[in-house]
Amino acid sequence: MNHPETRGTIFLEDAEVLSHQAHPGDQYLLRIQAPECAAAARPGAFVHLKCDPQLPMRRPISIMRVDAKSGWVDLLYKAVGEGTRLLAQRRPGEHLSTLGPIGKPFEVHGERPRVLLIGGGVGMPPMVFLASSLRPAGGHTPWAPLVILGSEVPFPFQPRPSQILVPGLPPAVIAAMPLLDDWGIPNRLASLQGYPGCFDGYVTDLARHWLESLDDQARGQVEVFACGPHPMLAAVARLAREFALPCQVSLEEYMACGLGGCAGCVVQVDTPKGPAMKRVCVDGPVFDAYQVFS
Amino acid sequence: MITANDPRLEMEFCGMRFGTPLVLLSGCVGFGEEYTRVKGFSNRDAGAVCLKGTTLEPRLGNQPHRVYETPAGMLNAIGLQNPGVDFVVRDILPTLDFSETRFIANVSGSTVEEYYEVTRRFDDSPIDAMEINISCPNVKEGGVAFGNDPQMSARVVAACRRATSKPLIVKLSPNQTDIAANARGCLEAGGDAFSVINTLMGMAIDLDSRTPVIGNNQGGLSGPAIKPIALLKVHQVYQVCREHRVPIIGQGGVQSARDALEFLIAGASAVGLGTALFYDPLICKTINAGICDYLGRHGLSHVSQLTGSLRLHERPPVVCGC
Repeated sequence: MNHPETRGTIFLEDAEVLSHQAHPGDQYLLRIQAPECAAAARPGAFVHLKCDPQLPMRRPISIMRVDAKSGWVDLLYKAVGEGTRLLAQRRPGEHLSTLGPIGKPFEVHGERPRVLLIGGGVGMPPMVFLASSLRPAGGHTPWAPLVILGSEVPFPFQPRPSQILVPGLPPAVIAAMPLLDDWGIPNRLASLQGYPGCFDGYVTDLARHWLESLDDQARGQVEVFACGPHPMLAAVARLAREFALPCQVSLEEYMACGLGGCAGCVVQVDTPKGPAMKRVCVDGPVFDAYQVFS
Repeated sequence: MITANDPRLEMEFCGMRFGTPLVLLSGCVGFGEEYTRVKGFSNRDAGAVCLKGTTLEPRLGNQPHRVYETPAGMLNAIGLQNPGVDFVVRDILPTLDFSETRFIANVSGSTVEEYYEVTRRFDDSPIDAMEINISCPNVKEGGVAFGNDPQMSARVVAACRRATSKPLIVKLSPNQTDIAANARGCLEAGGDAFSVINTLMGMAIDLDSRTPVIGNNQGGLSGPAIKPIALLKVHQVYQVCREHRVPIIGQGGVQSARDALEFLIAGASAVGLGTALFYDPLICKTINAGICDYLGRHGLSHVSQLTGSLRLHERPPVVCGC
């Protein structure tokens, strides 16, 4: 009998904590050794972590970076509830049961090489992961990405003036994520908190600046990708609709199995056949924004 | 590690051959294929897999949030989201590998007639058995509204009995006064076995919004928090089942081989796994091995020797000391 191709695509690993850094705003950068997950993960995927032996449920956390060769996986999360607060106490050398990679990844399309990535708060990690896959290889890339990251608490990295010029953005907006800059990925930061060099406004306002600066032909080559709080995603979807751009969003929801078994983590989407409940874990977490925000 | 197909674990359940006494519970493993995504997971490690609750017509289910962690457990209110029995029979069952395990349909409905019709359609399919879900706490009609009324429970079971000669497993609710009386009525109506217990109704409240966390306002509580309740219910239903040699799938908060053994001793012939799978999708292997280890250490040759082996304390007359 032919079994589905999905068999054996998610790995349960006893992952060692390699490093765990605390950042302001209860943000944590966690690096774990999970080689099977690292080798298989694609941008948009997440891991389902056993944060503490006392908790009956795992916690889904999106992947920010992987190194398939070394086998590590980077996660950025904010301690917001009991599970993530207990996770924050895990120290290097301890082990975390890790289930991953899980989820349908983002899909970039060759006919739309101007890839606009918008990440807000703990929605930043999937955008960094997607950006890493668009890095120029050997000085050449078919992709022309722009990453816009927003945060209302200090960014979990030290922003620095970007070395990459981005036409169409206000000249004073120079703050960038060093990692992306080093990869040669144009990027800028936005916040309402008045952080130096950041755009003073919402990520969608900065994205609008850029979109309005493009001519019709260039704008026709844009596809939008976003992850962040629900109101931000709704605003991104409105912006994409206004400019008639395709848009993929990554969602989150309380989750139990993370494998499609319980249908606990659903989102209602519009389909040609009418409304449907889709599982964020395996039908997503990446969805067509127009199906979610109708 | 000792896993499936250990002869000490192989058993017969209502005429079906189970490779192990473990049953993956309805609503936890989708329609039988979802967990195979995990490398190392095999349906062969379970004696049977109960498919997601199925109704006559497709159902969207409840609005989110549908799940929420609580102390030593979780609440869920999925609301029987399913694509309808015809889709399940036509499009899903042919994709399942029946050589791996026994697949049990979970029959749900809002009326007695719907239970009958869903059962009838599954009867005309390769499904091995049917579990009658008269205890779903998360739908407005049917479900637990039937399960908490012994007469209605019996009517539903009798209707399903008319629709099939395949094994009928009645899933009993803990949210009722006398579970043993209900079990007796369901047996007389034609039930072949019992699942004991379904979830207990509960609520969680968000302090900021002062609203229930669960979109359905209330949900079913599962996980280790309910294990002592489930053990007692299995013990009570076993008192009804013993003389009729009617088997029970004991379930409710099983997380380890130790838990599974307790259910067997209380009177279960098989043991259901639900919430524990969310935590450890490969837990079947661990529990199978743990049961074998216990059998070896206690000089037992087969898992069935444990069923109902509970030795109750003799009850001395109570003398009031006040």
